[in-house]
Order: sequence, then structure tokens, then C-alpha cells
Amino acid sequence: MKIQYSYLKSFLPTDLSQIKLADVFTKVGFECELDGAMIDFDITPNRGDVLSLRGLQREFHAHQSKKLKDHLTYSKLSFKKDKMVIDKINHEACGNYNLLSIRGVSSIRSLDTRKQRFLLAAGVPLISPLVDLGNYVMLEMGTPMHIFDLDRLALPINVLFPAIRNSSLQVIGGEQKNIDISSLTIQDQEGIQALAGIIGGDKTSVSKQTKNIAVEAAFFYPEKIMNQARKYGLATDASHRFERGVDPELQKQALARFLFLLSDVAKYDSMECFEGSSKLFKTQYIFLSAAKFNSFSGLALSDKQIQNILKNLGFDCELSGNKKMRFKVPSHRFDIGLEEDLYEEILRCYGYDNVPITPPKPGPSIAKKEISIASELKSGLVFSGFKELMHIPFVSEETFSKLNGNSWAPAELLNPINANEPFMRGSLFGALFSAVHLNLKKGHSAIKVFELGNVFHKAASGFNQEKHLAGIIYHHELQSSWSSQASQYNFYSVKAEILKLLDTLGIHGLSLSANSSDTVFNVNSMDIFVGKKKIGAFGEIDIAVTQKLIKNPAFGFELYPDNMSNKPKNIKLIPTSKFPLSTRDMNILISKSIEYAEIDRILAKGKIKFLNAFSLTNTFEGKGIPNGFISMTFRFTFQSNNKSLTESEINDSMDHAFNLLSKAVKAEIRT
Amino acid sequence: MQIPQDLIETAKLKLKSVQSEAEFFQLRSQFLGKKSFVLSAFSNLKSLDPELKVAAAKELNILKAQLIKVFENSLAIIQSLDDVSALDVTLPADPYFIGAEHPISKVSDRVINYFLPLNYQVFPGNEIETDFYNFEALNFPENHPARQMHDTFYLNSNSKSEYLLRTHTSNSQIHSMLREPLPLYMLSPGRVYRCDSDTTHLPMFTQIEGLVVDQDVTFGDLKGIIINFLEYFFNEKMEVRFRPSYFPFTEPSAEVDIKFGNNGWLEVLGCGMVHPNVLKGCNIDTKKYRGFAFGMGIERLAMLYYGVEDIRDFYSSNLDFLNQFSS
Repeated sequence: MKIQYSYLKSFLPTDLSQIKLADVFTKVGFECELDGAMIDFDITPNRGDVLSLRGLQREFHAHQSKKLKDHLTYSKLSFKKDKMVIDKINHEACGNYNLLSIRGVSSIRSLDTRKQRFLLAAGVPLISPLVDLGNYVMLEMGTPMHIFDLDRLALPINVLFPAIRNSSLQVIGGEQKNIDISSLTIQDQEGIQALAGIIGGDKTSVSKQTKNIAVEAAFFYPEKIMNQARKYGLATDASHRFERGVDPELQKQALARFLFLLSDVAKYDSMECFEGSSKLFKTQYIFLSAAKFNSFSGLALSDKQIQNILKNLGFDCELSGNKKMRFKVPSHRFDIGLEEDLYEEILRCYGYDNVPITPPKPGPSIAKKEISIASELKSGLVFSGFKELMHIPFVSEETFSKLNGNSWAPAELLNPINANEPFMRGSLFGALFSAVHLNLKKGHSAIKVFELGNVFHKAASGFNQEKHLAGIIYHHELQSSWSSQASQYNFYSVKAEILKLLDTLGIHGLSLSANSSDTVFNVNSMDIFVGKKKIGAFGEIDIAVTQKLIKNPAFGFELYPDNMSNKPKNIKLIPTSKFPLSTRDMNILISKSIEYAEIDRILAKGKIKFLNAFSLTNTFEGKGIPNGFISMTFRFTFQSNNKSLTESEINDSMDHAFNLLSKAVKAEIRT
Repeated sequence: MQIPQDLIETAKLKLKSVQSEAEFFQLRSQFLGKKSFVLSAFSNLKSLDPELKVAAAKELNILKAQLIKVFENSLAIIQSLDDVSALDVTLPADPYFIGAEHPISKVSDRVINYFLPLNYQVFPGNEIETDFYNFEALNFPENHPARQMHDTFYLNSNSKSEYLLRTHTSNSQIHSMLREPLPLYMLSPGRVYRCDSDTTHLPMFTQIEGLVVDQDVTFGDLKGIIINFLEYFFNEKMEVRFRPSYFPFTEPSAEVDIKFGNNGWLEVLGCGMVHPNVLKGCNIDTKKYRGFAFGMGIERLAMLYYGVEDIRDFYSSNLDFLNQFSS
């Protein structure tokens, strides 16, 4: 709500500068920003009572500990009940309904320029002098008003929910609206003439020909107005106030103010005031104990101090004794219902900054929690040279189906911010591909990035959210330096990277198998299992799924930290041998159709005596090697726990190893 | 015959300054060569009385053996020096990738690291949430204008509950109060969403929620921990202002501003005493327990901490930007 500083200054009144005044309001809970000659108030939705000059004045005086005097002038009005003017009222939705009927309105002239400027600054457009005056009184006092052309109303008026569905109303401005039966309406004998608390109908609005008017001031309950304006796309100054709460005791006074100011803009012949049957607004009382307040706040205020603070805010202490005080809640304070609400009022006026602080207190000691696997994986990757990225998880339909196939139903937003990206990501790779693409375009050539975050999909009931960690290594160019031979990042590099990471973090018992699912990887990829649980996959990225974002070989991985466990096992130590290790190499020729995993299995399970370890140290194809064959060099390490091995013992074991391979996969010694 | 007492020490001292094998052998012949004191002393033994001769010979032999030992030891060291050819150690290292955590991760960790020693437990939260946990249980009545403060993304669901992207991490308050025993000291970091995007707002950002439910918790306790935390975070004494505000789930509610640089007051977090309706909704006895809660935007803290000017930089995947956070 924007208010002209000069206008506010004389209304309050105060001598404070614009900055100081804004500061006073900010400190008591109405955050202000300066906007040229205006102060822009951020009034929180619980404080509808402050959406007026009077509301601001009330707060200002309370916090200055000054008694508020009403300096406005009013006409004297007397209201009568007449069923021929106001008939049926739904009291569940409308607390009171009043009309000021004015006949023979003439010599209409504009509001004075000062008030006009005030209205415009507040964002209220100038419509016509009578409507502008109604809006002015709303901004001054806080209760919205509506002005009907009396001659176009077929009295009496009823304030009711529509009896029939889809009644129609052409609202001011010309738009036709189908009125829902949940919307409170102002009806006359010809039908719906206004949406209560939101907007009037076009037919009964004032025009240049208007001679007789009916000024409406009513109280509608907030919960009956809430959400109605949004439903019709008609957020108005009136609906903004009614859904936040308007003082139910203000309406007749506002009409008296309207009539008093009317002489500034028009002449009239006669007037009458009508009131409908009303339902008295129930006064609320709240008990408060100073001891309880002090224990809540850490302050030590006396009953008297509390009473004074609350009195300035309009809360009178009605009864005291029995260690509790009873406060009457003023009619404009819709937001107050609990003792704690009063605590806030007291603290607000006393000043939050004046509450003494206590040093931080620790909670009860808790069992020391393990660092989460996800953050350990993250640290491991950072140490291996990966950079962490974060992305906004909205993706296009195309990206979702490319990366997730048909295996997952997408989590779809009903109101996406970008219509092309209506889905929540089902994979982290989409954004990683874009990230690689973007940085390649900028001239980077060696990229190692990862992201840790949730992916989403629709479940049978509700939605699933899973934590994934995915990374990409794009290192197309040969890595060469002055000191070492050029090398190329390849499938085996990413394999080493992932196995090293998992092994270092104590995630043991891995089994690797060919990638089974339809994923972002091509055929050169593997799934990682611990038992039957899939904990991840790695391999070469299928260039086709990157949608042309990546054009050269890239490698990646996807890990599922929630499926992993690195609880420390009870380690059973094996005594180490005091005797030396002996190593021997073996060079064999073998058909290329044999997978390495097969050889590995044969040697591992072959019960080779004294075998400590073996590793593949070299492979060779080409010159001197028959077609369809490959040469492999193994290094075997032998050791005994109780003696130094003799040459012949080692030779026996080597022979055994070769015989196993020769028998199972027809290996030959390469000479 | 006089044997100089400091012969061994002199040899050791001279050996220390030897730089090469050649120098070494030169020095060795000075002490153990034909013309050296020891060897010439042996040839002078003839002229002594037989009794003295035996004693002197014994003494000379010991001396000679000691000298040989000293030179042997020294030779091993000098030879090993000669074996290593000196590198130009100033040549660059082999190429390596420099890893870096995302600045939002780093700032989140910095916040969490303050609270861990105070025994706060860290709980993750759901990003896709039902209306109940995001609004209703936090005292946002249906249709209440307070909900309009949160531009909410809704999801197309086939279940009866209304699903949405959480608009704040406060949903974790409800989950943890319903699940955990009291007293409760918890933090919940995570991503939140608002259907709002311009140069200063993103549809997604990061928050950390804090919640304490315990007996005798006061507003002064809340102020104490917030001020202490901010001073830890920014590593300096801070001018901090608590100003009344409104969140449906706290009463009283406060926004916290700090004086930062020349920017005047800057809002850094929201907090308050947990609203009794929220506690009651989680079956907590409000006669016995009270609580306070706070929530902070990590992007805002990171922007202040690192001097980042455009919030969009955090999610731009720009390696040139991220490279600066490797320390």
C-alpha cells in the first residue's frame, strides 16, 4: 500500500522525516520502502486493519504511547430499518448491511487535487467524483464502499448466496461473469447486482446521468470473501480488505464521513439511512498472565506495564486479579485470538530489540551420527577433480522421455513457469548435458562435473523422490603434458574412478554386470550391485540421448546413495607373512571371444598354491599375434606364511595356473 | 709420541663441507694417506722404546680404525648425493582437475557446522509435499490470503490429496515434530519452490530450517542463538535488528536484518516462537513445551558471503564462475 508521505504526515500528524517515519513503521512490523515522495507499506495479510490512514494512525500513536484522538468530522446520521429497502440478509456471511440513499445529487465536481493525488499515489484510479469519494473514505477509514445508481435498483435488496447455478452478472468494466453459488451476492428484485465485497454490476453503477445514489457500507466475513476474487480474476481494493478483515463496527461511521465530505463534490436534495437486520459481532476477551508472558519472553514486565502497552493498542483490561488479566479485543483486531497473540503485541510495542538475549543453549546430547554417504561421495568426487553443479529441476517432455523412457511416469506441474518445461526431472543428466555443452561453447575442453539432487516421478499414490548423484567426464582431447605420455580418458578410466571412490568409502561386496536397463549409457557400460540392490551404473554416454548437446565420446555415472551402506564391519585381521613375496610373469595367447571376467574367475577359484595375488599387466594384438587372438601378460605374486618359497614350488604353482587356463579357455604360452 | 686428541672431530668437520667424491678422496688421503699423521706415526714407531712402542701402536690402531669408519660413513652419503641428477623442480606439475563444491553446498555446510556442536540433528525433507504439511499443519487455513504470499506450484496427481512443490522447508518442522521424541533440536536443509521468476527471484532456491521444541524456551533464547549464529557466519560483530513480521506458524514472528557494508539493513532470515496451533496439531503439550523456529535463504547468505551479485549465477553451470569456489 503506497501512501504519500506529505498526506500521511499531516493526517497522523507528525514532524518525523520520511525516512524516520518509515523506520518507525518498519520497527513495529510494517516494513516500509521509500518510493519517491511515497512510503510503500508491506502490510502482512493478518493486518487488514492497517490498510487505511486510520489504521496506520492507530499503530503510530500506540507505539509513540500517545492517546489517539479522532480528528475527523462526521455528519450526524440516524438509521432506520425498512424491509422495502433492505430485506433478507445471510447473517453467516454478512454481519451488517447499510445504505445511505441520497436524492437529487447535482453540481458534481471533482475531488480536490490533494485528495486526487493521494488516491492516485495509492494506486486507486479516478473514476467519477462520487466513486472517488467512496474510495477516499475507504482509504481513510478502512471499510470499502460501493455506490449504486438508486434508480437502477429494483428495491428491496437481499444479501444472499445465489439460489440458482450460473447466474450471470456483467461487472463494472463490462466483463460477463458466471456467478458460482458459493459467492455471496447483492441481489435486487431483478437479480444479482453485485458480487459482495468484490465488485458491483455494470447496470447499477453510477453514470453521468445518475441523480439518486445508494451508498453501501457493509461487513462481510473474511472467510466468505476469501478466494472469491481470485476465482473470478477480479482482485479489487475491496476484496483485498474484506478477505483480510474489516472492522465490523465501522460501516455507519464511514457513511457519516462520506456524507460530510459529499458537500466538497456535490449538492443534494435529501438523504435517508437504512440498515438491514444485523448480527452483533461477538466481542472477544483474552486472559493473560504476566508471569507466563515473562517466562515466554525472558522479560520481567509488571501487570501495569503490560496493561499500558495493550491499552495504547486498544485492548482494555476489564478485570484483573487471580494473577490473570482479562483484555477486551477491539473490533478491528481480527488477528487476535490467543494469549500468545497478545504476547506478540506486547513485544512489538516494547521493541523486539529491547528483549535481552540469552547465550545459545545446546540440545540434549545425541548419538553421534554417521556422515551421510551422499556427502562422503560428494567429497570423494571433489577430491578427484569434479566440480559440483546445481540446476533447477524442471524439464521438457522430450528430455524426460529420452532419459527415463517409459519406465517412469512424470511428476507434472499444473502451473509450470515455462510451458515447455512442465515436468520435474526424472534424471540429473539432462542438465549435465547442457552444462557440458555450454562450457564447451565457452572454450573449455576438459570437464568433470557432477550434481547431487532429487529426481521425481509419479507413484501409484502420490509421488516418489529419490536421491541421485550423477556425473560426466568429457575429456575428448588427449591429455598430454611435457612430462608424460599422452593418455585418453576412456571407459576404464571412469571404471577406475568409480571403483576407487566406492572402495575408499568402504562400500564393499560390489558386483558388476552389463548394463541392463534403457539408460543414458551405450553398450559400454555396467551396473553396480551390492547383493541384489543396484547402487549405480557407469559407462560411456549414448551420444544420441544428449540431443546433440555432446558430439564426442563422454563418460558418466549415476549413483544411488540411499541404496548404499558403509557401516563399518568387524574386520577380521589375517596375520601377515614374515616371508618374502615372489613375482612371476606369464604371457599367454587366448581367443578374443573369451571375456576377461572368465579368466579372472578361473584363476581366482583355481586353488593355486601360495597364490597371493594376480593382475593383468598388458594386452597386445597385432604383429605376431594370430587373427582373432589376443596376448595377455599376467603378473602372479606368491607367498607362504611359514617359509621362503623355493624355485620349484613357484614353478609348480605357475604350471598349475597355466594348466587351468589351457584346459578351460585353450590358452597357449606365447613365446 | 703426542697424538692429537681432536683428529676425529677435525675430520668430521671437514667432511661436512665435502660436495663431491673427488673432494672426499682428497680429504681421505690427508687423513689416511701415506703422508698422513696416522701413517707417518706408524713408521715412526721404530724409534720408540719397546714398552712404549706396544702402547702407542695400540692407540694408533684404534685411531686409524675410527678414522676409516668416519670416512666410510661419509662416503655412502656423498655417493648417494651424486647418484641423483637435479631436476628443474619449477617445471609445472602433470595436469590435474581441480574439484570444487558448489557455493550453495559450502554455505549450507557452514550453517550446519554452527548448529552441529549444539546437538541439532539434520533431517532431509520432501520437495514434493501435500498441502497438509506445507500449509494446513503450519496454520495456513484454506483460502487464507497468507497462502498468497507463497506462489505455489501444484502437481497433477491421481490421489485425493493435493500435491505441491514445497514453498518452504517448514514442512520438515511438522514431519519431525510428529516423528521425533522431545526435546527436539533440528535443522532441515533443502530446496524450495515459488512460482515466480525475475532477475532477483528464481523458481527454486535453498533454505535451511531450524526448530527447537523444549521446556522453558524463550524469545530471548531465539534472539541469542540467531545473533550468535550470524556473528559466527559472517565472522564479525554484527548489528542485528529483529523486526515484527507475520508467519502463520510462529507467534510472535520476526524478520531479522543485518547491517552489511554500505547497504543499510538487509533481511537475512525469518523466525519466531512456534505457534501453539502448530504444536497442538503435532500432539505436543503446549503447557509443557514451547518452541522456536527459524528459516534462512542460503542463496541470500551466499550472495552476501561471497559478494555474488546475480542470483542466477548459482544455477548457470558456468565453470568460470564455479572455478572460483575451489578453496
